[in-house]
Amino acid sequence: MDQQEERISRMSSRLLKSIFAAAALAAMLSAQPPAPPAGGAANGGVPAIFGGTGPHVAGGPVQHLSDGHPDMQGFWAAGNNGGAVFELQNHPKPRSGVPPGKGAIVDPADGFIPYQPWAAAKATDTFEHNLAEEPELHCYESGVPKQIYVQFGFQIFQPANYVVVTWEFMHAYRIIPTDGRAHIPTDIKLFEGDSVGHWEGDTLVVDTTNLNDRTWYDTVGNFHSDSEHVVERFTEVDTNTIKYEATVEDSKVLTAPFKIAFELYKSSDTKYEQMEFACIEGNQDVTHYTKDKGGNADVKVK
Amino acid sequence: MTFRFAVLSAGAGLLLAALPALAHHSFAAEFDVSKPITLKGKFVKMDWVNPHSQIHVDVTGPDGQVVTWSFEALPPNVLFRQGWRKDSLKPGEEIEIEGFQAKDGSANAWTRSVKTADGRRMFAGSPDALPPGAPPAPTK
Amino acid sequence: MRFGWMRHSTITAATALALVCVAPGVIEVPVSAQSAYKAPRTADGTPDLQGIWQVRNTSAAFDLEDHAGALGIPPGRSVIVDPPDGKIPYKPEALAKRQANFKNRDAADTLNKCYMPGVPRITYLDFPFQIFQTPKYTLITYEYIHIYRTIFTDGSKHIDGLDFWLGDPRGHWDGDTLVVDVTDFNDQTWFDASGDYHSDKLHVVERYTRTGPDTLRYEATIEDPDVFTRAWKISLPLYRHAEPNFRILEYECQAYADEAAKGGR
Repeated sequence: MDQQEERISRMSSRLLKSIFAAAALAAMLSAQPPAPPAGGAANGGVPAIFGGTGPHVAGGPVQHLSDGHPDMQGFWAAGNNGGAVFELQNHPKPRSGVPPGKGAIVDPADGFIPYQPWAAAKATDTFEHNLAEEPELHCYESGVPKQIYVQFGFQIFQPANYVVVTWEFMHAYRIIPTDGRAHIPTDIKLFEGDSVGHWEGDTLVVDTTNLNDRTWYDTVGNFHSDSEHVVERFTEVDTNTIKYEATVEDSKVLTAPFKIAFELYKSSDTKYEQMEFACIEGNQDVTHYTKDKGGNADVKVK
Repeated sequence: MTFRFAVLSAGAGLLLAALPALAHHSFAAEFDVSKPITLKGKFVKMDWVNPHSQIHVDVTGPDGQVVTWSFEALPPNVLFRQGWRKDSLKPGEEIEIEGFQAKDGSANAWTRSVKTADGRRMFAGSPDALPPGAPPAPTK
Repeated sequence: MRFGWMRHSTITAATALALVCVAPGVIEVPVSAQSAYKAPRTADGTPDLQGIWQVRNTSAAFDLEDHAGALGIPPGRSVIVDPPDGKIPYKPEALAKRQANFKNRDAADTLNKCYMPGVPRITYLDFPFQIFQTPKYTLITYEYIHIYRTIFTDGSKHIDGLDFWLGDPRGHWDGDTLVVDVTDFNDQTWFDASGDYHSDKLHVVERYTRTGPDTLRYEATIEDPDVFTRAWKISLPLYRHAEPNFRILEYECQAYADEAAKGGR
């Protein structure tokens, strides 16, 4: 575990007692819905995003639906991925507002995005001068693969011939047909792309094309073009754990594909509900971004 | 006395910071993380809006002028799950609110915590804008 | 942020005068005469409403009541089946506000800012949506600004203490009909582009009934004690997209507005 994870883990056990007490009291005094669930191993290691505090606990054997495929339905959130949501690649040096972390890239082994030189320069320039361009600041969806590791987790549904995933964050969704259809024509570019899925044994393989270039991999400006092509693999290993991998190709931006990998953890909070998350309706942040970051406001606080 | 929100210890607040709720956009680009500010004032109202709730506070300056500050907080869905309710703070209530000021110098800030007159502490952002394990807030 | 094809600003006073109600003649089909189609079932035995659906009536989104055409606005018969005269039963002071809304609609209709359309308006916007069903949920994904609604069919209760643009939907099956009870609305949305509005006391009960292999009947009963003298009800048919491999795409209103502001497409 890196230093950050160790600290979180130590704090988690120390806080267990106070959170349990506070949660119980809050649950007693407040109306529906319930306060965050009490922590502890018995709850299956609910990820912190869902209010859990214990470490992740493996579940039981994979259950299957009547169509023979693994039942992955429920609420999931990304487990430890080296701070990918801040920066997807290896980021050993702290940057303003971004703690160091290994990121989620497992290939290449050094963990860095294999950018073409012009693209590496552009990513750096974006971080230094254009953070006001961050897509989520403008309430855009997060694209692929970032949607998988954004905050607040997601819900998986498995109706007939589809896997559908919904996110509270930005009220995003991805529809993955598993009926073997072809992709839509390449002229149509979408924030979440066009996904087609198929099962290889108990692994859901999702092929996504038709992505536009208006999303980032993270919050610091790592980016892709509209040639991005992502193949994701979701393998449920137990009822609380999905192994997630994604191979990303982008001939306009990268010198070679890269691969990310981490686990997804399930919430065992049976009362959890995702709620509506409107965004542009109340979005004020973009107006405060200062000119040195690509915004319109002057820096007044030094 | 009734309190309708989860009273969390400072440590628990740090656990909240472990939630990547602040990865929604680059926090340090908008707010000055190098020096937190603490203001005392009267709670006016709270906008329960996504993506960020807004806590409005009337702060009387040394010159006697009242400025209404807007302190940004976590999304209402998250606050609600933590136990916050729309009547958790009463209009006119004296509160102490701590946060990071917007770099554009406007009367806007990110909330670290809210303390009520009877000493209850509530979290609407996080007590530390940077996740645990991060180095001290840089001055850049 | 404007829809090029939804602009109202070219309506002159003369045209506005033309928007009078024509003789009401809403035909309501008695329940007994309606189709007795029995929908196929999903794996867990509930009526199967799944598929990609869209209205053909493109004028309800402009004005739910009887209205003549105007520049950019198709004419339409009222989709209100109750009361029988097809008019929204406003309280007198509320009707005045509706007229003021109409005059101010370009600025006041939050749809023009790419905000969430509310319920039931989202159903009759001219964009497709897809219905999925699993045992505890009916999920509706809308092409329009990637909205989704998770309709809980697990017997759970409404949330108490928050309000939402689309409300909080809790559903149950009543024979072959999915009945969705929606509360917890804010007061920021309209029912159409003509200023028909509600307060945060709005309560909507939607009914989705399959009437044939490629058709659904959509009904919505609307109550709001602050605005209307009584409940009223709309009804529209929904049609299945039969094109092979049809998919909902994306209509990212805000992203397009941002691009347009920068001089893009």
